[in-house]
Amino acid sequence: MAEPGRIPVPLRLCRGCRRFVRIENEACDFCGADLAALEAAHAGDVAALHAAMDALRAAMAAHAAPLPEREGSGVGES
Amino acid sequence: MNVERADFRLPVRYSGLDDILKRVPVSVVWEITLACDLACQHCGSRAGRRRRDELSTAEALDLVGQIAELGARSVGLIGGEAYLRKDWLQIVAAVRAAGMECDLQTGGRNLTADRVAAAAAAGLNAVGISIDGIGATHDRLRGVPGSFELALAAMHNVRDAGLEVGVNTQINARTLHELPELMGIIIAAGCRNWQLAITTAMGNAADHPDMLLQPWQMMDVLPLLADLAVRGREQGLFLQPASNIGYFGPHESRLRNVMDEEIHFHGCNAGDTVMGIEADGTIKSCPGLPSPYAGGNIRDRRLRDIWENAEPMAFNRRRTVDDLWGYCRTCYYAETCLAGCTWTAHALMGRAGNNPMCHHRALDFESRGLRERLVKVKDAEGRSFDHGEFEIVVEPVPACHG
Ligand code: SF4
Ligand code: SF4
Ligand SMILES: [Zn+2]
Repeated sequence: MAEPGRIPVPLRLCRGCRRFVRIENEACDFCGADLAALEAAHAGDVAALHAAMDALRAAMAAHAAPLPEREGSGVGES
Repeated sequence: MNVERADFRLPVRYSGLDDILKRVPVSVVWEITLACDLACQHCGSRAGRRRRDELSTAEALDLVGQIAELGARSVGLIGGEAYLRKDWLQIVAAVRAAGMECDLQTGGRNLTADRVAAAAAAGLNAVGISIDGIGATHDRLRGVPGSFELALAAMHNVRDAGLEVGVNTQINARTLHELPELMGIIIAAGCRNWQLAITTAMGNAADHPDMLLQPWQMMDVLPLLADLAVRGREQGLFLQPASNIGYFGPHESRLRNVMDEEIHFHGCNAGDTVMGIEADGTIKSCPGLPSPYAGGNIRDRRLRDIWENAEPMAFNRRRTVDDLWGYCRTCYYAETCLAGCTWTAHALMGRAGNNPMCHHRALDFESRGLRERLVKVKDAEGRSFDHGEFEIVVEPVPACHG
């Protein structure tokens, strides 16, 4: 049985200055930001982005649905 | 954030924690011959003529079976120029028959349509073509006039045969400023994977110190690559920085983000998930490393025995912060990074554990108005995989830079 390889020491990303910092940190060692607060704000931004994308997808699906009937009809081709 | 990408599959040579725990040589890079039809100024193995003692066909095919037994998923054939070995298609076919992926890394000078068709028929999965700079820059680095056009033609041949085509590019003082334009050229030629590596001071490259990047140039290299990575992705190009590009600094996530922004460099993989094989059957923990890192030869020992028990193969998993020296010893990232690429550090400094080619380090020096410069103090001897030695000079940042 092979001896295991070296287990990497993971880091966490500061959403403020985008430096990686020690995983146990509460504040960023580079910009001083509150890591959990930035993470929460980022998660909110991502959720908002996903909601916007879902809305866009739904709108596009609504437009795309009539496509087969539209073929050759000249309606809504623009 | 985990970004789910249903349309994206990581190449099989990417390793995971399970591979590290079981120490599976996921990616095996095999120099099958030192014969070469180019004369590259940066060639680490100083390839040209085939070695007298290269493995026979029977030995090579037996080795394929031994590689598969260790659980490898991908075998990359390199040289020299791998296609100059007469039995290279037999090796490709054997790798595929053993259930592993097989790719060819090539300069592409004579990668004709017929050759590619035969390789595709043998089961070759992908081809990576070396393109260093544009036109005359590439031709000069590769030592053959016209080789840039031949490399582009080879790319087209590979695509026409339905194989995946990637490009490998050396980043050095001659190519750095051409990278943005080169990216446009290779995207237009159908490239989806672009591997970039900093030219390491090994073999022929050690004889051309003017070609090598200086540590302070990481201040230009990292932002540029991070920007190219993002722009490339928008155009369907997957930029893969080699493990000698880094480390950390504000661009780390953008540069290495494949599907997860939290991905960062986590240290050298040599001997854990990476294995290198020389044309004479010498086994190393990474293909670029010099001879002190050789674990043995498959003519003397079984591959599994070398992989599992040879002490020179174990340096990486034994390495701790106490093995580091110079700036790296007290670096913020020391525990995770362990001085980055062993190959790069050893080739420059004569021993591993202190790596000046680092963005975090350059940023720290710059914040104090300083920069590091490498000065060559010892020539290489002229053998394959040899290196000279450099000293680090710390100096004030000149007014015109920084
Ligand atoms: S200074 Fe050394 S240990 Fe620190 S990040 Fe750079 S290469 Fe890694
Ligand atoms: S020596 Fe460098 S190239 Fe080789 S496995 Fe380690 S980091 Fe990667
Ligand atoms: Zn920060």
